[in-house]
Amino acid sequence: MKELFKELCESRGVSGDEQNVRSVIEQNITGFCESYTDKVGNLICFKRGKQQGKSLMVCAHMDEVGFIVTYINDDGTLCFGAVGGVDPCVVIGRQVRVGKNLIYGVVSSPAVHNLSAQQRESSPKFDDLCIDIGADSKEEAEKHVSLGDCVYFQSDFTQLGERRVKSKAIDDRAGCAVMVELMKQELEYDTFFVFTVREEIGLRGAGVATHAIKPDFAIVLEATTAGDIEGVTGHRRVCELGKGPVVGFMDRSTMYDRELYNLAFETARENNIPCQTKTMIAGGNDAGIIHTTGTGVRTIAVSVPCRYLHSASCLIDYSDFENVYRLTKLLIKRIPEL
Amino acid sequence: MDTRETSFALCETVGVSGDETETIKTVSKMLEEYCAEVNVSEGGVTGWLREYDSSLPKLVLDAHIDQIGMIVNYITEEGFVKFSAVGGIDRRLLPAQPVVIHGKKKIKGVICSVPPHLTNSDSKVTEIDSLSIDTGLTADELKKNVSLGDRISFDVKCRELLNSRVTGGAMDDRCGIVAILRTLELLKDRELKYNVIAVFSCQEEIGERGAKVLACEISPDTAIAVDVTFGYTQGENRKKCGILGQGAMIGISPSLSRNISEELINIAKSENIPCQVEVMEGLTSTNADRYSVNQDGVDTCTVSIPLRSMHTPVEVIDLNDIEYTASLLAEFAAK
Repeated sequence: MKELFKELCESRGVSGDEQNVRSVIEQNITGFCESYTDKVGNLICFKRGKQQGKSLMVCAHMDEVGFIVTYINDDGTLCFGAVGGVDPCVVIGRQVRVGKNLIYGVVSSPAVHNLSAQQRESSPKFDDLCIDIGADSKEEAEKHVSLGDCVYFQSDFTQLGERRVKSKAIDDRAGCAVMVELMKQELEYDTFFVFTVREEIGLRGAGVATHAIKPDFAIVLEATTAGDIEGVTGHRRVCELGKGPVVGFMDRSTMYDRELYNLAFETARENNIPCQTKTMIAGGNDAGIIHTTGTGVRTIAVSVPCRYLHSASCLIDYSDFENVYRLTKLLIKRIPEL
Repeated sequence: MDTRETSFALCETVGVSGDETETIKTVSKMLEEYCAEVNVSEGGVTGWLREYDSSLPKLVLDAHIDQIGMIVNYITEEGFVKFSAVGGIDRRLLPAQPVVIHGKKKIKGVICSVPPHLTNSDSKVTEIDSLSIDTGLTADELKKNVSLGDRISFDVKCRELLNSRVTGGAMDDRCGIVAILRTLELLKDRELKYNVIAVFSCQEEIGERGAKVLACEISPDTAIAVDVTFGYTQGENRKKCGILGQGAMIGISPSLSRNISEELINIAKSENIPCQVEVMEGLTSTNADRYSVNQDGVDTCTVSIPLRSMHTPVEVIDLNDIEYTASLLAEFAAK
């Protein structure tokens, strides 16, 4: 599962441009299920189990945060906007890959020496940043880049210590990798697995898929913000690395189904899987649109706690990732029996 | 010499101010290829192109061997590494930046980034004191390999951009070193006006300390500091910047020797070497400031390579400027 996880993290798919990620997934699920790609790009898969229970949809989003080229300056530098919620502080001074040919660029800004005291103390704004690809003029840049081209973080998938990994796009390739692995197993009940698109720009893909499937239940597999860093204490840590899957009761987009919430913790406890909840009402995910689609879908989210989400250096503990897999595998057997 | 290959090799060898051992080793090996004599001393590396000729004055071509970075000053119980800046760092770009701690082993990590739900909306840049490095290791695991005082660098590889542009994490001032090495190569069979001494000095970024002691050790008659200067890009002031690819910037300043500046400009004109002029009002913030007041005084000038995004992990230069700089310096030193 780790190899596939790495391959998925290294695949590039900014919201609305998920085809590379989708094809990696398709290569890995061939023969394990029936699947099709819908109009917006969701990859919808159906896997038969030994029997039919209540209908369950498991989903994870394929898209990652990134950027889009909005304008080419006369000097050959590129203006760009963020696709999804990205803090400019984690963008300035990074290498990026631009367009279909993935040429290298760097996000530049005036040298710190030439900034006013006030500029040095304030976070940069995307309007003040540009991408330098080495072009000398607009004409030259246009040979390599077109308006609307996607821009991706350049980041190596790196093992940190024995247990942790750092990469871009762990949100939500972790969920995608877990789903692919689940689909390779023999299942008790028929299950839909959906790899959604455009989550990062406002949950634009999952609703369409949910409308098509009309499931009774949904499990959203995600990566969620962990605030367990130096200097942060108590509830402000939200959740912590190494303490297992995160099952929230409420976030900015969803009031999760209480019975499913309790079932997740009960299942974890019975099987000695560590499990935690979120101690702040923060974040949101595809559950927000799924649970209000059609006549409503009973939904929970099972997430990998992740530090530095939405940067090129997302950091997780591998044991949490494995425990998300273990817990979800148990839940897809129990939920259809409710 | 392949300037791209040499730049990349030097840039990816780390030497944060005060801990330049690794870079000194790499550079010494490169210098030995061109020099009659190579010495490592307190202030850095010195390479004498030929045996000392007492009938010729001494010309120092200086580039600094250190780079900005960070230094470990505390390890928390949870295993987070607290650090301070070494040299002028742009704090705005620190969150989520990948780094390497140069302990007994090289330990990779990420600078913590405070998640949005915990930040105030005032968009103030985080103080370094509030940041720390996340290595994925516990305090006990860390302490086996990391000690207080270990240096930290950005974890970044060099990349080719379009044309002859390249990016790297320590082009300031490894590109100056490459330009000087290339100068030595160009001077191989030339008759010289000077005893040419390549000086790669330590601790420039924290106050030109290596150059100060090396100047005293060598007592040059003439010195040229080969450093970088601001390359024009979006948001920079055109009047205060050089243009990438249009040649080295020859310094003119009240603190420098006007004669040397004019000689360099004349050489560039007569030899058709692209160059630009950089006028400064006082000091130069380079090692030139140390040479010019050394002992009885030294005729000093700056020759600077334009560089974008200075003091960031994504510094950008044009390799042609290295070549132009080397041609200019070689013509200056040759008869």
